[in-house]
Amino acid sequence: MSNPIKAGLAIGIAGGIVIAFFGGLSGILVALIGGAAVGLILSSWEHFEKRDVAVRQSATAGAVAGILMVAGQFIYQFVIVPLSGKTAVSVDAVTFIVALLTFALAVALAVFIGYTSTLEQGRRRVALFGLLALFLVLYPFLDGGMSVLYKTNPSANPFVDQPFINQGLNLNWLGTMITILTFAVLALGLNIVVGYAGLLDLGYAAFFAIGAYTTGLIYSPYISSQVGADWPWLRFVWTFWLVIWIAAAVAAVFGLILGSPTIPLRGDYLAIVTLGFGEIVPIVFRNLTAITLTLPFTNICIVGCGGKPLNFTGGESGVNPIGRPWLPGVAYFQTGDYLPWYFLILAIIALTVFLINRLYQSRLGRAWTALREDELAAAAMGINTTNTKLMAFAMGATFSGFAGAFYGSYIGAIFPSVFDFTVSVIILVMVIFGGLGNMVGVIIGGMIIMMADRLLLPQIAGTLKAIVNTTIVPNIQNPATKEFVSTTVDPLQWRQLLFGLTLVVMMLVRPEGLIPSARRRAELRSEAPAGTEPLSIQEADAGSPLMSVDSDPLDAPSQ
Amino acid sequence: MSAQTSVATAAPSRNGDVLLEAQGVTKRFGGLVAVNAVTFTVPRGAIVSVIGPNGAGKTTFFNMITGIYEPTEGDIIFNGASIAGLKPNQVTASGIGRTFQNIRLFANMTALENVLVGMHTRLRGGLVRTIFKPPSLRREEEEAREKAMVLLDYVGLGRKVAGETSRNLPYGLQRRLEIARALATEPKLLLLDEPTAGMNPQETADLTAFIRKMRSERGLTILLIEHDMKVVMGISERVSVLDHGTKIAEGTPAEVQGNQSVIEAYLGKGGAEADLERMKQEMRRK
Repeated sequence: MSNPIKAGLAIGIAGGIVIAFFGGLSGILVALIGGAAVGLILSSWEHFEKRDVAVRQSATAGAVAGILMVAGQFIYQFVIVPLSGKTAVSVDAVTFIVALLTFALAVALAVFIGYTSTLEQGRRRVALFGLLALFLVLYPFLDGGMSVLYKTNPSANPFVDQPFINQGLNLNWLGTMITILTFAVLALGLNIVVGYAGLLDLGYAAFFAIGAYTTGLIYSPYISSQVGADWPWLRFVWTFWLVIWIAAAVAAVFGLILGSPTIPLRGDYLAIVTLGFGEIVPIVFRNLTAITLTLPFTNICIVGCGGKPLNFTGGESGVNPIGRPWLPGVAYFQTGDYLPWYFLILAIIALTVFLINRLYQSRLGRAWTALREDELAAAAMGINTTNTKLMAFAMGATFSGFAGAFYGSYIGAIFPSVFDFTVSVIILVMVIFGGLGNMVGVIIGGMIIMMADRLLLPQIAGTLKAIVNTTIVPNIQNPATKEFVSTTVDPLQWRQLLFGLTLVVMMLVRPEGLIPSARRRAELRSEAPAGTEPLSIQEADAGSPLMSVDSDPLDAPSQ
Repeated sequence: MSAQTSVATAAPSRNGDVLLEAQGVTKRFGGLVAVNAVTFTVPRGAIVSVIGPNGAGKTTFFNMITGIYEPTEGDIIFNGASIAGLKPNQVTASGIGRTFQNIRLFANMTALENVLVGMHTRLRGGLVRTIFKPPSLRREEEEAREKAMVLLDYVGLGRKVAGETSRNLPYGLQRRLEIARALATEPKLLLLDEPTAGMNPQETADLTAFIRKMRSERGLTILLIEHDMKVVMGISERVSVLDHGTKIAEGTPAEVQGNQSVIEAYLGKGGAEADLERMKQEMRRK
């Protein structure tokens, strides 16, 4: 099978399934993302040199994917809808326009990406970043049309009579997208530690928790209510724009603290220790509920005096409420009005990308890469490996501090269960799936993973449940089987399994990730392994010229 | 730049000024004595070789100089200060550059990036500067790049391969790139661990000539571990022989060559007679 067909089939099947479950106008969005994915995968397989070949092949791939996606749309209408007992949607002109649009967008995006692959490396990166930025900025309007602008004041909306302009694709995913992008920031931060410096961190959620709890503790009336009016500095008028930097700084400091014991460790040992920290931190937050602090060797009480221990973190129920950003005249951050939040997280992503890019393109970034490639050689070239590793941990933690502050403020509350091990795992999967060491890859891969988790999985679960309940369960006679089937079919319960499966399949099929960095691709796809053997205590090379009998080395100079 | 040009004319002095001095250096790994009370000096501007059979402790000795191991006993004085127990990066910063026996380039970085990593200690960082990237930093980076290009030219890689991933370079060029990377640390003393290993006679001859050229043009002092006797005898001014962790001989190549214990170390007891026997046979054949 030729590569264009293969890429088209792979993405087309995935996209078709998504559309078959969501139905409606979702096909247009899936075609945008899927078309881009087809182009990216194809151009990484083919390494196009000529423009016309690139355009022709990616058009073929895009067409294959487009046809499958359109098929998905019809499967939704003719199979899924009747089976799940929803009211049937009539097939009208709109259906065909959407089908046509789906197909056209898949081809167009594939061709565009295929075309950029013939550009020179730097310009391609600009093109891809530009496309991604354009998509992210326009997304709210694609999702919800112009109505997203008038959430707080619907009566002022002039587009009420025009359903497509007003509603867009009518997906209502914007709120989830904000969470998804928050996780993208986390993935970008983890990418520094794992992708750049090569330190496997399985407990990254700890820093996310530290950032969020810092925000919760300094930007909420909660702690003041716990201690009374004893701590006047907490009643100081904090603003989110200051708090987010404090959260990042505190997270960075904890990056240093939690990173320092791991310095002598490598590989699996490092992973185990970070795993431990990832478990410890949420547990600490869960249990800091009754603090009494006295000066050592005295009876002078500082915190939690008078038999009333301080409930520092609120235990399982967490800290609530957390303040919102305040930007008068520009945006009003309110519950239910997603647009300002969305653009705030976009701005945070932009800042994150900018800062990480600066770091990566610097002396420090080179030191990280060198450290990942060969720690001993890096040390021998004058790199202070301890400081370089600590900087990786601290910088990685900084961005999780941003994410934590935003997330706490967005949700309005924080509790320890948000930061458990699965969060560390999902962030790691985002990074690996997208492509270790490549920011565009990490953002796109992260979004795909999170969309699958937060949007697709619940949708599939709901649809499957509906199908089971309307068409299968009524036909089962045995009540025990009936019970078993109706409780077992719940993809939400398979979440962990699906993550694991994604990782396994990814490692087998495309270990370098969706959009790999050039380095990773070279490393994973190269035939000859790099000649880096571990340092042995004694020289251990056999067959040196000195030891062979037929050459007489000590005679050499007199020849 | 200034360091290179100012010392470039300094003639190698055979006696007097000592750059590196090992004083009774011992390294034990548990019960195994890898290096045993080795005392050893490297005069400034000289090319000195350490030879010995496999397992003689040469690389361990090297690793103590470069800070990978800490000597169990003894002291290492470099340029007037003790470097025993310093970390590898501190040793490098103090002016010792090295290459490795098995090439240890940063395989997935480009040739240029490899050399830039070598410049790490000679560039300034700072988080705030990195993030705001003021013109001074831009200029520094630009200069570093240019300097790295000059170094790539100097070792014979040329600017064309600067963007090539180092793992894709042919073996001989990888060896040379390792030297360029070591030179980028601006060393006073360059440690070469079997630089001609795996090279054919032509490449070996070229590299030997290049080592000599580096010494005279850059005012370097060079310490070699080498198995190829042609190289050792051809370019070294002094040779030290290690066997079972102990220094068994030292002197000019000619002196070492005639030393009975050296011949025994290499060929085993009785090896010398066997050697004579073989020479006689060869004469007869001719």
